[in-house]
Amino acid sequence: MKDEADLTAVFSALADPTRRAILQRLAEGDATVSELAEPFGLRQPTISKHLRILEDAGFIRQGRDAQRRPRSLVVGGPLEDVDAWLRPFREQWERRFDALESFLDKKAKRAAKKGERR
Amino acid sequence: MSTTGHAKTTIDRATFTITFQRTFQAPREDVFDAWTQPEQLAEWWDPSGARLAECAVDLRPGGAFKLVNRDSVHGPPFTGVYRVIERASLLVFDAMGALGTVRLDNERGLTQMTVTIRCASAEHLEQFVKLGVDVGTERTLDNLVAHLADHHRA
Repeated sequence: MKDEADLTAVFSALADPTRRAILQRLAEGDATVSELAEPFGLRQPTISKHLRILEDAGFIRQGRDAQRRPRSLVVGGPLEDVDAWLRPFREQWERRFDALESFLDKKAKRAAKKGERR
Repeated sequence: MSTTGHAKTTIDRATFTITFQRTFQAPREDVFDAWTQPEQLAEWWDPSGARLAECAVDLRPGGAFKLVNRDSVHGPPFTGVYRVIERASLLVFDAMGALGTVRLDNERGLTQMTVTIRCASAEHLEQFVKLGVDVGTERTLDNLVAHLADHHRA
């Protein structure tokens, strides 16, 4: 699990819609800066800024090809940390709904008993 | 604890939404009342299984609710305001800065419950989660989950 500062970087990287769209695009395959800039109608310096933020947060990396320098998603990157961090929250709600389920079961049994007595 | 299966959790990072899905062997009205009648809500809301120390419900659009766990380890009170109340099908509320929606659908005599928690941004999602789960809770839950897993195996 990453520490607090890293997670903050991860969340602020995800906070921007353009950066989320870039991640979605890269999930389909590697792309160069110009390939990424075009569909978003952004100038290269702007897209480079977004890419740097994503790279610093550990989401993406630059390929070895010095000419094209394609960006690619990091497998098992920070999204997994976000998942791990969310897990206790998820489990808390799951347990809450387990409790709701057993509450409803009990209620149904009580109602059935009442019905028998009638 | 009986399980009807069909438990699903999804997190959509693009819309900062967490969705929980459950199917219950109970009529929609019963599930809706369990969410909205304070004496019923108090019995299941605390994930630790304890009855709530306080459960105040003003069930009308704009009405407030406040749910306080007996054990403060389980986080701050859960407070909010009801937005939409349509008995048996829909409950919408603002809580802790997020929008909560409980949708109940009838499915061959069973009730399919879809709970979504939508935050305004990624930072907000982070904050919301943090409010709900402090480190102490995380540890408690991990212990409990381990305990339950053991219990099931036995």
